[in-house]
Amino acid sequence: MNEFLIFEGISKSFGDLKVLDNVSLSIGKGEIFSILGPSGCGKTTLLRICAGFETPDSGRVILNGKDITDFRSNKRQVNTVFQNYALFPHMTVRENISFGLQMAKVPKNQISREVDKFLDLIQMTDQADKKATKLSGGQMQRVAIARALINKPQVLLLDEPLAALDLKLRQRMLVELDWIHDEVGITFLYVTHDQGEAMSISDHIAIMNIGKIEQHGTPAAVYEAPSNSFVAAFIGDTNFFETEITKNEGSYSYLHIEEFTDIMVYNDKNFHEGSKVYLSIRPEKFTITLDKPEEHRRINMIRGVVEDIIYLGTHTTYWVRANEYLIQIRQSHDRFLLDQKIIEHGNDVWISWHADNCYMLDRYNVRDESLLTLPDDDVMESESPDPGEE
Amino acid sequence: MNRSRTPFYIVMGIIVFLYVPLLIVIINSFNMSRFGGEWGGFTLKWYGKLFNDRDVWHALSNSLIVALSTTFTSMVLGTVAAIALYRFRTFLQSVNNVFIYMPLVVPDILIGISLLLFFVALKVHLGLFTIYLAHVTFCISYVAMVVMGRLQDFNYSVMEAAMDLGASWFTAVRRIMIPILAPGIFAGGLLAFTLSIDDFVITFFVTGPGAATLPLYIYSMMKHGSPMVINALTGIFLTFTFIIIIISKKLLEEK
Amino acid sequence: MKERIKKRFAELLLTMPAMMWLVIFFVIPTIVIFIIAFKEGDSFGGIGREWTIRNFSELANPSYPVIMWRTIWLSVLTTVICLVLSVPSAYYLARAEKKWRDILLLLIIVPFWSNFLIRIFAWKVVLHPEGLLKQVLVFFHLASENTFLLYRSEAVLLVLVYTYLPFALLPIYAAAEKFNFSLMEAAYDLGAGRIQAFTRVYLPGIKQGLITAIMVVLIPALGSYVIPDIVGGPGGEMIGNKIAQRTFVDRNLPQASVISTLLILIVMVPLMIRLAARGRKNGDADTRGGFM
Repeated sequence: MNEFLIFEGISKSFGDLKVLDNVSLSIGKGEIFSILGPSGCGKTTLLRICAGFETPDSGRVILNGKDITDFRSNKRQVNTVFQNYALFPHMTVRENISFGLQMAKVPKNQISREVDKFLDLIQMTDQADKKATKLSGGQMQRVAIARALINKPQVLLLDEPLAALDLKLRQRMLVELDWIHDEVGITFLYVTHDQGEAMSISDHIAIMNIGKIEQHGTPAAVYEAPSNSFVAAFIGDTNFFETEITKNEGSYSYLHIEEFTDIMVYNDKNFHEGSKVYLSIRPEKFTITLDKPEEHRRINMIRGVVEDIIYLGTHTTYWVRANEYLIQIRQSHDRFLLDQKIIEHGNDVWISWHADNCYMLDRYNVRDESLLTLPDDDVMESESPDPGEE
Repeated sequence: MNRSRTPFYIVMGIIVFLYVPLLIVIINSFNMSRFGGEWGGFTLKWYGKLFNDRDVWHALSNSLIVALSTTFTSMVLGTVAAIALYRFRTFLQSVNNVFIYMPLVVPDILIGISLLLFFVALKVHLGLFTIYLAHVTFCISYVAMVVMGRLQDFNYSVMEAAMDLGASWFTAVRRIMIPILAPGIFAGGLLAFTLSIDDFVITFFVTGPGAATLPLYIYSMMKHGSPMVINALTGIFLTFTFIIIIISKKLLEEK
Repeated sequence: MKERIKKRFAELLLTMPAMMWLVIFFVIPTIVIFIIAFKEGDSFGGIGREWTIRNFSELANPSYPVIMWRTIWLSVLTTVICLVLSVPSAYYLARAEKKWRDILLLLIIVPFWSNFLIRIFAWKVVLHPEGLLKQVLVFFHLASENTFLLYRSEAVLLVLVYTYLPFALLPIYAAAEKFNFSLMEAAYDLGAGRIQAFTRVYLPGIKQGLITAIMVVLIPALGSYVIPDIVGGPGGEMIGNKIAQRTFVDRNLPQASVISTLLILIVMVPLMIRLAARGRKNGDADTRGGFM
């Protein structure tokens, strides 16, 4: 059922600040659905409205056919994993996990059995009687998840659950979360600002920005076919070019960019001739060569000079200057590199790509370019020593 | 830049300044001579006199009765007031804040005289009960202040977590907030207890016949009676205070 | 909608108990002071039935300005001395090692928490004409046999400082503890001398603590009664003495009210200054930040 949890026209303001602007979303049963966006985009507020900690100014929340908008948080079949876990510090692991069932007045021996089952699921049976304050970050997160899941909610809400963990631990916990989801089969609504998390774990993603949903779909759909410059820049990296359509030919358009020969692009959005559009090409869609590539009617090519090279082992990022544009290109090394002619600083190169591998955007905001990773930011991620969490 | 030693000397000076009179009194409590000026030999007779003085015990029990009732009442009132101030941001709370703040900065004597006039005007009989009413009045603010201090560090999302798991707000306060605040509440209670036992000025104004508390008794002894016994009382008092402070510290340190 | 009503109910339930108590036993009695000032006393030392303003003529008595002035300058001087001693002490304590710091703080707090009367009594013993201190001073020719250390305003000042010093030290220490001392190093690095850094970086940094300290010393000091009563004598009388005298010795409650009114007015001055300064800083009605 694709419409298990529905947000219908949700708007919410805090004072003068409009945090959510007519947001509508529909989430399927049993899936992991992520809401991704920068800080302040409203994703946490949307989650809190779903949990019942905030009430929307307008709009409805419908869960499994029932309108729960006016229900208080303790009356909803929804549970939350908080960003800082919010474990009860004066209680043990066991007491924390039992709390929800106690509130539901489940008989004691049944609680005990369920708690043991979940302790086993999160592999903390040995630490059951430890005080919540004595746990490590990863342990606290697992207890928080168990405490929420044991109540068999219809939806589990996760508010940036991995934000407080360091890199290595985050990667590990992400895998565990995925595994727990498969074991338990409950719908997850996951909120984060980290695109890596969202893309790797989700069945569907929604991208939010300043209170609005920019796009939603599967991770691949959102990555490969962003509907506007915000999505294109927020997820992964891309190159933007200001262009004008000179001619449409069947399902392709010809674009004119200053000082370049015309570019051919697949026209999936049916733009008219004469439209001013932005061309977006992702770095990995290019091929970079020292020699001119074979000509083909669907292959675009440009000449440029290599300004910057960042070698990362599996791939290299090149920054190539072509007229006024600085183009980012990512080349995977699928063959033994040392046998090939290596491209160096200052080389004249050809960059080429297929017309199907780029796209046009009509909604473009120059501000969105600041989301891209520029040459100064693109540093090698060093392997920092693991502080030994867990 | 070298650290100047001046602040250190000032601190040492202050400590000496604070303790010299007390030490002199304690030494004198063992002094045989009736005058503080000269040493007459070691004795415990003043402590003996203290223990045998029935009025002292009577005053002490009065002080304890008042202090315990005051502590309990002000702990409850102060805590709920602090929780209200923490949780809500309305005009009512601004007023609440002013009311709680005022007794902390008004001189004792004004609280004392105002209550005396109030009780006399209403023809209320002055005694232990009026002392109790007066003590609670100024203790609420202190308890509220201590609890508010703990609330600053309180992580509100545990309350949301409790409600998320099915608890009503009141259940969450009862089972989550109060247990977490408990050390702070008890520290506030301890503060109220000490202030109540210690109070003189306000008690002096609202007391009635037969309702002597320990400070009142000490005062009357100072004015007309054997001052040497007071030295012995000081020694005992200081010991108890020392113990209470250590307990209080331990309570506030618990995370 | 029901949500909001429930929330209101919860707020009232939590706020009303303490507020009602304080209204009945604090706010109303304060108003009563003003009312009683206008009433006749009765012959039993209680409150009569008639209304009068005769009590206010009492204030024309020439001793009042003297006492008022003494009350004010003693309180101000006490506050200043307490601040001067507390500020460097807090500086030292906030930077000391934890072990030392805890011990020293404990040492400072213990006398503070011991009974107030007993501490004053201790000073009466020390300052006694036949006491040890006097003998030492005479030995060093700093005083003659006839000088009285007791029963003068200097004695009152001494004991006031003794009593209120911890009240000043604790909030200033609390502020110093939160102060980021690397700012001092930054100042030195930029060429500031020790005193300059102290006055231009440290003092403004603990401003909140200084203000709290002033409030908890100055205002209670203005209302001192016991200290001048025990060590002050006639040369060290303060307003508090007068109030107590009218109440217990002269048994004239209305006159006591009049003097209390006077004290309230004196006390209002620093309070109003404080509130005005706060209002100007915040702009809105949220006076909650930092309780004092």
